[in-house]
Amino acid sequence: MRVTVDVKGEDSRELELADVPTDAPEPTYADLLREVGLSPHEVSVLVDGRPVPEDQPVESERVTVLRLIKGG
Amino acid sequence: MDCTRCDEEAIMHAAYSGAHLCQHHFRESVEKRVRRRVRRDDLVPQDATPDDPLTWVIGLSGGKDSVVLTRILHDTFAEDPRIELVGLTIHEGIEGYRDESVEACVELTDELEMRHELVSYEEEFGIRMDDVVEDDPENMAACAYCGVFRRDLLSTYAEDLGADLLLTGHNLDDEAQTALMNFLEGDVAQIAKHFDASLGPLSERGEQSEFVPRAKPLRDVPEKEVALYAHVEDLPAHITECPHASEAYRGEIQQLLYDLEENHPGTRHSILSGYEELAGIVADDRAGDAEDDGGGPDLRECAECGSTTTREICRKCSLLESLA
Repeated sequence: MRVTVDVKGEDSRELELADVPTDAPEPTYADLLREVGLSPHEVSVLVDGRPVPEDQPVESERVTVLRLIKGG
Repeated sequence: MDCTRCDEEAIMHAAYSGAHLCQHHFRESVEKRVRRRVRRDDLVPQDATPDDPLTWVIGLSGGKDSVVLTRILHDTFAEDPRIELVGLTIHEGIEGYRDESVEACVELTDELEMRHELVSYEEEFGIRMDDVVEDDPENMAACAYCGVFRRDLLSTYAEDLGADLLLTGHNLDDEAQTALMNFLEGDVAQIAKHFDASLGPLSERGEQSEFVPRAKPLRDVPEKEVALYAHVEDLPAHITECPHASEAYRGEIQQLLYDLEENHPGTRHSILSGYEELAGIVADDRAGDAEDDGGGPDLRECAECGSTTTREICRKCSLLESLA
């Protein structure tokens, strides 16, 4: 499955899920983030507008990544 | 994936605790941590009464952290006659960026029917950060100027508003970074100061009668969870990075903590809790030494503005002079 990772306000990346390295039985959202150079502690992953736990296996072809904005 | 506490779908995973939480239990968990921190830091003294209520000033920038803090404190204390909340917003003179976040502050405080005060560098000091970064007479990062001016206005206005406490929205990531930076810089004096100024339980802090005490009740909540709370609660938080942001060292520490947290979940929590314990010991130790020496650091009035300082002219006034 090809997955589109859309980092809000930045680039969108397409990844082949089978090629994403993982320690879990299947690649997780955290593994996807690692592939695009982000930490799960600096972003939230949304699927269909809803936040998902990053340790879960990727089930959607399109994910949106919300970056944390520093400071106030 | 179900929520650890009910049958609803989880929206987040906290690797440091192992919990998966649905929206309801996530909200509850964030609010609980803030309230527990308010209790542990002794922020509401036993003798607070409705006849003589306390004034709590919240540093409200319009970013996610201060917006979430304001909302949770409001939900907790709006009906409590012992506490009056005031939002204090500072406009640094950063075009576009701060204009939008001021709007977020106005929207939030209107909705919560909370008192809101807005002050600006321009009216108070006759400067704007957009110009300061152009001039840059001291060859420093923008945040180095801005921090001095912001701290000055926060404490001056907290005092003018009769504040008993000044609260800011520092989250777990912010405080773990600061703790690690102070430690790596070997700055033990700063660690002791950190405890007495904002970290220690109010009842255990050293004498700092010259300053309004500060508190950071959001510091048990990781930054990501603060952002997620603002998102799921649809709070009017402003989401743009400051165009002048440039804290290079902090950024390096932040990345280090992300990497550590990835392999050793709970690292930020353990850094901060160990640091707070040590900071308390160091603060005590220094207070004892100061008594032996016949008093703490020599505090005096700034010759220019009269604010409390250890120098002849305070840092803010000397920066303003070099900008003039």
